[in-house]
Amino acid sequence: MENLLATSSHTRSQPLNGATDALPVLRLTNIEKVYQTKTIETVALNQVNLTINRGEFVSVMGPSGCGKSTLLSLMGLLDEPTRGTIEVDGRTVQSYSDRELANLRNLKIGFVFQSYHLINDLSVVDNVEVPLLYRKGMGGKERRQRALDALDKVGLSARTGHFPGQLSGGQRQRVAIARALAGGPEIILADEPTGNLDSVMGEEIMDLLLGLNRQDGVTIVMVTHDEQQALKTQRVVRFFDGSQVG
Amino acid sequence: MLRHLFTLIWNRKRANLLLISEVFFSFVVLFGVGAVLITAAKNYLAPHGFNYEQVWRLEVRAGQNLKMPRAELDDVLRQVKALPGVRTVALTSGNTPFIFNTNNSVFEYEGKKSPQANVYDADDHYGEAMQLHLREGRWFAPSDDGSNHRPVVISQDLRESMFGNGPALGKIFTWENPGKGPAKPEDEFLVTGVVDAVRMESDFSAAIPSVWKRLIPYDTTHWETANVLVRVAPGSGGELQEKIARTVAGVTRQWTSQVRVMDNERLHRRLYTLVPVVGLCIMGLFLIINVALGLFGVLWYNISQRRAEIGLRRAMGATGAGIGWQFLGEMMVVTTFGVLLGTLLAAQFPLLNAFDLPAQPYLLAIGAAAAAVYFITALCAWQPSRLAAAIQPAVALREE
Ligand SMILES: Nc1ncnc2c1ncn2[C@@H]1O[C@H](COP(=O)(O)OP(=O)(O)OP(=O)(O)O)[C@@H](O)[C@H]1O
Ligand SMILES: [Mg+2]
Repeated sequence: MENLLATSSHTRSQPLNGATDALPVLRLTNIEKVYQTKTIETVALNQVNLTINRGEFVSVMGPSGCGKSTLLSLMGLLDEPTRGTIEVDGRTVQSYSDRELANLRNLKIGFVFQSYHLINDLSVVDNVEVPLLYRKGMGGKERRQRALDALDKVGLSARTGHFPGQLSGGQRQRVAIARALAGGPEIILADEPTGNLDSVMGEEIMDLLLGLNRQDGVTIVMVTHDEQQALKTQRVVRFFDGSQVG
Repeated sequence: MLRHLFTLIWNRKRANLLLISEVFFSFVVLFGVGAVLITAAKNYLAPHGFNYEQVWRLEVRAGQNLKMPRAELDDVLRQVKALPGVRTVALTSGNTPFIFNTNNSVFEYEGKKSPQANVYDADDHYGEAMQLHLREGRWFAPSDDGSNHRPVVISQDLRESMFGNGPALGKIFTWENPGKGPAKPEDEFLVTGVVDAVRMESDFSAAIPSVWKRLIPYDTTHWETANVLVRVAPGSGGELQEKIARTVAGVTRQWTSQVRVMDNERLHRRLYTLVPVVGLCIMGLFLIINVALGLFGVLWYNISQRRAEIGLRRAMGATGAGIGWQFLGEMMVVTTFGVLLGTLLAAQFPLLNAFDLPAQPYLLAIGAAAAAVYFITALCAWQPSRLAAAIQPAVALREE
């Protein structure tokens, strides 16, 4: 990480040396996201101000269509806000180049998508290796080992050679989680990671995330519809119709 | 990353099989066209082995079912030779250069067969008229009149295949399968000279082993037509041609004659040879354009099918450029499979010595076809890959 910060030192709002820990991992300021289609303009997020501190476990709740996934894709640097600023470690990302953004996504963030997004033509283990492919200097052996470890954590060691089409929805969800873990990210952004799992498996995944958060200090933002799960996290952020309501 | 591409391509083999076979067929077509073009170009650049400039072909016809008395024929030759502007005249058979008339045969020397060789009748002035380049020995001459065998001059390529590095002059060979009983002296060929290999078919044809048999008076007794090569001074034209025609008519009224310029016959033959080659090239070009458009379409479709994958890879840390390279790289790997299959097929031609051609043009054609195929596929993959590179991760991930 230090390396990356050093190479992009020309960007604005330099963090004070050694003060990185005190800065929020993610800060969204006056965020607005408007989706423009031919016929209709959808305000998916409106005046969102949100700070995620290092080591926090935050859950995001709200009814369907209120903008939770949109929020996560902005946090994951997959999309740009229509207005407002996003800061990662105290630095605005709007000015980042394509390469810098790609590096941030690869090294810092693990993303679990609501609809898994596995590559159907790759086996389970190859899917989990995908983020590691974009790491400079990581050999094939290490990639494989990390992928297998991650699959072990989500209880899928027996399915490494399967293809996504041969897995149940819950199993695919777990592959997607393993893929987010494989890179050892600082932040995990999980969009309903237990949405397709039965309660037992859901509990296990929740425990896994809690463990990562507590033992490894991974910052986690999780979208969920489950109040029980939300209660286990440190903070709940509620949305309604694109706005933050609590 | 290359391993990853192989895995991806292997897992998508059904979709890629189509691409691979398209590449394979393009390669084979390009190889075929390339081999023809390279062979033609290589021949074109080689010397003809004789000088076709300022040579005319005088055709003298005695008329239907009329034979040519040798004495009158000799008169024609002598009088034409005497015309101002005429350098040399030579009597030969009908298979003069660049016209559609060939006469070939296989010979035998000490039980060893020669390759198929062109056989020409030639008199003592032929070598001079055609400006053949003597390498060994001499052209036949009146001093050969008393010879017990028929004197011949052979081309260097025939010499190499019949006599190798050993001496050729003074050797005697025969037709293939000389038959039983004592051979007739005129069917035993005594080598008096060796000339450079000649390319007499067209500008684009290869050298063909050749034998020039010395005409003996007996040969012409059954002729109805005589072919005379006339080497003229530079700048000679229609006026001299008319004079020659009048000279022939002056010897005997029944005979008709026609003068043709060998260089014109060469150009005519060149055109005739070029037409199918150009046709082949145009057909090949259309085929390749077709394949290229098909490839372009398939790649375009592939990318629209794989938008979610692109978005995902971007989300996992691939740069836009990285995605572009991945798609280009996949296509190059697929191309490599197609080219390898094609090379496997194409390599049979030099290995099996097909069409009796040397290996070099085939190898060149393989290289050229491979380069062209890589170029075409890279060109086709370029735009779709750039398109893929420009896809924004969030947009791509939405669609499913
Ligand atoms: N690419 C897009 N183009 C147009 N509108 C969009 C686009 N993406 C999202 N929206 C709209 O933005 C709003 C927020 O969508 P989002 O996916 O963030 O909701 P969500 O809170 O994740 O819902 P769910 O709980 O059902 O997943 C919705 O009204 C949706 O229709
Ligand atoms: Mg959602």
